[in-house]
Amino acid sequence: MAPGKTIKAKIKKTLPVTGPQAPTVSELMHWYCMNTNTHGCRRIVVSKGRLRRFIWILLTLSAVGLILWQCAELVMFYYTASVSVTVQFQKLPFPAVTICNINPYKYSAMKEHLSELDKETKNALETLYGFSEGKSKVRRDADDWNATGSKFLEIIPLVKFEDLSKKTVTEIPSGNKRKIETSVFHQGSSMVNTGDPQDVVGFQLCDPNNSSDCAVYTFSSGVNAIQEWYKLHYMNIMAQIPLETKVNMGYSAEDLLLTCFFDGISCDTRNFTPFHHPLYGNCYTFNSGENGKVLTTSTGGSEYGLHVVLYIEEADYNPFLVTSTGAKIIVHDQHEYPFIEDIGTEIETAMATSIGMHFTRSHKLSKPYSDCTETGTDIPVANLYNKSYSLQICLHSCFQRAMVDTCGCAQYAQPLPPGAEYCNYKKYPNWMYCYYKLHEKFVKEQLGCQQICKEACSFKEWTLTTSLAQWPSSVSEDWLLRVLSWDKGQKINKMLNKTDLANLVVFYKDLNERFISENPANNIVILLSNFGGQLGLWMSCSVVCVIEIIEVFFIDSFFIVMRRRWQKAKKWWHDRKAAPAQVNAPANEGHDNPVCIDEDLPTFNTALHLPLPQENHVPRTPPPNYSTLQLDAAFTDPLPDTLEGSCH
Amino acid sequence: SSNGIPPSPLRTHPTSGDEGLIEFYSSFKDMFEFFCKNTTIHGTVRLVCSSSNRMKTAFWTLLFLASFGMLYWQFALLFSQYWTYPVIMTMSMHSEPKMFPAITLCNLDPYRFDLVSERLAQLDQMAEEAIANLYGYKTSIFSSRYKKDISVKGGSANLSSSSFQLNRHISLVMLKEPDTGSKKKHFKVGFKLCNATGGNCFYKAYSSGVDTIQEWYRFHYMNIMSQLPVIINISSHEEHIQNLVYSCQYDGEPCRESDYIHFHHQVYGSCYTFNSKGTDLFWKATKPGISYGLSLILKAEQNDRLPLLSTVAGVQVMIHNHNQTPFLEHEWFDIRPGIATNIGIRQDEVHRLGGNYGKCTVDGEDVDVKLLYNSSYTLQACLHSCFQDKMVERCGCGYYYYPLPPGAEYCNYNKHPAWGHCFYQLYNRLADHHLSCFAKCPKPILIRVELVGGPCALCAIPRIRDCHS
Repeated sequence: MAPGKTIKAKIKKTLPVTGPQAPTVSELMHWYCMNTNTHGCRRIVVSKGRLRRFIWILLTLSAVGLILWQCAELVMFYYTASVSVTVQFQKLPFPAVTICNINPYKYSAMKEHLSELDKETKNALETLYGFSEGKSKVRRDADDWNATGSKFLEIIPLVKFEDLSKKTVTEIPSGNKRKIETSVFHQGSSMVNTGDPQDVVGFQLCDPNNSSDCAVYTFSSGVNAIQEWYKLHYMNIMAQIPLETKVNMGYSAEDLLLTCFFDGISCDTRNFTPFHHPLYGNCYTFNSGENGKVLTTSTGGSEYGLHVVLYIEEADYNPFLVTSTGAKIIVHDQHEYPFIEDIGTEIETAMATSIGMHFTRSHKLSKPYSDCTETGTDIPVANLYNKSYSLQICLHSCFQRAMVDTCGCAQYAQPLPPGAEYCNYKKYPNWMYCYYKLHEKFVKEQLGCQQICKEACSFKEWTLTTSLAQWPSSVSEDWLLRVLSWDKGQKINKMLNKTDLANLVVFYKDLNERFISENPANNIVILLSNFGGQLGLWMSCSVVCVIEIIEVFFIDSFFIVMRRRWQKAKKWWHDRKAAPAQVNAPANEGHDNPVCIDEDLPTFNTALHLPLPQENHVPRTPPPNYSTLQLDAAFTDPLPDTLEGSCH
Repeated sequence: SSNGIPPSPLRTHPTSGDEGLIEFYSSFKDMFEFFCKNTTIHGTVRLVCSSSNRMKTAFWTLLFLASFGMLYWQFALLFSQYWTYPVIMTMSMHSEPKMFPAITLCNLDPYRFDLVSERLAQLDQMAEEAIANLYGYKTSIFSSRYKKDISVKGGSANLSSSSFQLNRHISLVMLKEPDTGSKKKHFKVGFKLCNATGGNCFYKAYSSGVDTIQEWYRFHYMNIMSQLPVIINISSHEEHIQNLVYSCQYDGEPCRESDYIHFHHQVYGSCYTFNSKGTDLFWKATKPGISYGLSLILKAEQNDRLPLLSTVAGVQVMIHNHNQTPFLEHEWFDIRPGIATNIGIRQDEVHRLGGNYGKCTVDGEDVDVKLLYNSSYTLQACLHSCFQDKMVERCGCGYYYYPLPPGAEYCNYNKHPAWGHCFYQLYNRLADHHLSCFAKCPKPILIRVELVGGPCALCAIPRIRDCHS
């Protein structure tokens, strides 16, 4: 018979005993576990001891549970991912558009509050630069000034530098020349030599409690110095006026908006939500979502956007506060606070401004991937604005809080924290000095605001493209102005001026929403599969074999070491006891000495080390029988003919 | 062991009866052998298996240790990578030379064709009268201004216009607004549109008189213009590019005469498209930067042959893809006269996932709206075509600003007295997304978006206007 046939016959003979046709279920299970390719099951069978076996069963079962859970996760992820792509909207929400006149309040209405300040500003300008609007008037004003004294210049004196290097200055109201010893802060871009050092104008802020503690702020241009000086006083005055009066002094919606047109449908002032901005007065937000409804557009293009004609009353502008004419607009999300002073777009008068928008939504991953915040609740700065978190809100709130803490009052340009009030020098005489010091600290990042405040993780952004055309054209100017004047309720002979008007169009250029999102490159699943891949590639093992290694090399090894130690200690104790009797046989020590193995039951190892006849040398470890190495335990009796040559 | 029963390390049947709760190995060798034989790591079996051959054992030991080392090295890499928390952002940049996009310029000054000039003069007069009636203000700027009429080549003059009569019943009237509580302004200006029987009427009115007057003028204008033949041949002198462009340079070289095509838009006037086909190698954009782009000096004449149609002055520009109809009403920007404007452009390509992921079309073949435009598929072209189909179906005639489907004619109120009523209702419904057009028109699968990086409108240098890519 050929050797192949013999093997076949033998297999046939052995199969029914242990294979799938095994007589009992437990035998079948045993057979399965020994033969299966999943490792945990085999460990259950080959492990010694009930506890070990039980632990292996537990481990295997929990591994099965983990596999099921992870697979379910994967399947669910697959389906959610495809769903999120499927839901596509043809519509885009139209953003909120906030429109402000650059001039915050009607100058005519402000006159009673600002007349003294303006008079002094004019006088200061005349002293500094020697120009006047009319000689006789100025002389009268000057007399006036000398008579009444200068309230505002006393509080913050304007100074003119005679010689910057020697620090000699002329004080504006008195004309006194003196040398200043205090520090000079230059607010200009850099201390480049701007020509004549006499041009340098600044103002001095002193700590009222300690008059020697002063700081002089200089500007490279007198315009900036005067404006800044004016603004400080203006804020003081405005801080004392109640909000209601301020709203009445500003522009009403009917004042500002002449025409309105959205998505092909006429709209009016009712579609605009008023909002009072401390620096820009009354502003109006289109589509603010106040009543819970946000307008959407389903078509891009200018004809479906927002068309408004704004009335900018140039004659009623404050001459010192604002030096440009026009309106400021900002496109923002309904939940965002419009920071017009920081990121507004200015609109020219007598021009048609078309603003095309592209919409981008971004989402960053929060911790640990990047340092951003989802809702802002984890930032230890109270949000003073009644809007959703943004970095800007946080910085402004943080500064305002520092301002209230150090100066005792709140800065005018930002909302009031609870319990605080706006600064004015009647109540807080040193706030300006304090503010400047604090602001400098803030800019130099010494207040810690920049460290505390984090970026928001998700934000919406509208990229604006602005283009201008001349409007109204020379031919249409006449009738257009007349009709608009009539719309405004003015007499037809008193026509509006075209420099009082601005035409604005805000529209979506396309309805493609760009969504930039970050996805983790590594997650737990990827990490584990990478581990699996590496383990399998280099060692062909799995988590089971990692546990195996722990079991064998840590627990079992430890036990063996402890056991040896115990035996040694025991032996040493014995030796000590029996020392007098054993002195004649010192060579036979250690556990190799068969005589010593008395109380421990003989193990296989010790049995192997029994002294043998010297001539019959047996290797310390018997060569392994190959049958025990075979993973396939189906052949309980090793087949002698199949063993040959297979393991050499 | 714990219960004193000797372990039997070489036992081949571990299932046999009397075993302890926990059993340990008596020696390292014993344990190691068991581990090597039963472990699920493959290499270790070899160690034991070849223990009679020392060289083999050494070889396998080395191999085992090496792979073990590799494993831990890789582990270290994986861990260090994991702890840095990297993120993925997919974006690809292509900087290979591209074709310069097509650029359309319009002068915002539509022609007065001699065929309809008489009617247009009547309309201007009507507008003057209406303004005089409503606002008590006499103007003569519309009709008294010298206007050059454009003669239509080969057209039989005043053939159809003789029969056409302006409908003076559709006139501007003052409407009393319901009292809203505000102090001023109780009046609105509007015009009345009725259906064929006159039973159903509404007033088309806007919050501002300016908007109403313009809409009213546009409505009459469409009626008058519908008298013109569909294909108009304009004398070659009129469509010469030098009427709009004084000088043209691309990539430092002067533009060639053949580089543009001319068309006349009913609202935006004379339009010239540069590089409309996108096949000429002359228009290859090789380098970015101002000096490698298109630089033009434009003539923004304020002729205003139709002063009520547009109230802005300047030149309208659209940057679009080749072989696309420029929808100027949709996506344009203005160029203001008297200043230099620099426009940087960037192209974004958006590929949509088709199939189950979202509705979109590859080339518009599978869309059941027949495109009326002779250009490649765009969403806007599809919407316009769909609207025109609805218009012909419901109102019986075509909207003048969109191309005509075969067999239809443009609306005019002499022939279709109720079309205005029908049109504004339909138009509002499109704006309100009631029409099925949005459902019918999928987005194209590939969109190239030209992102215009803010024309710096405030560089007030009276020099030239540049376009560069």
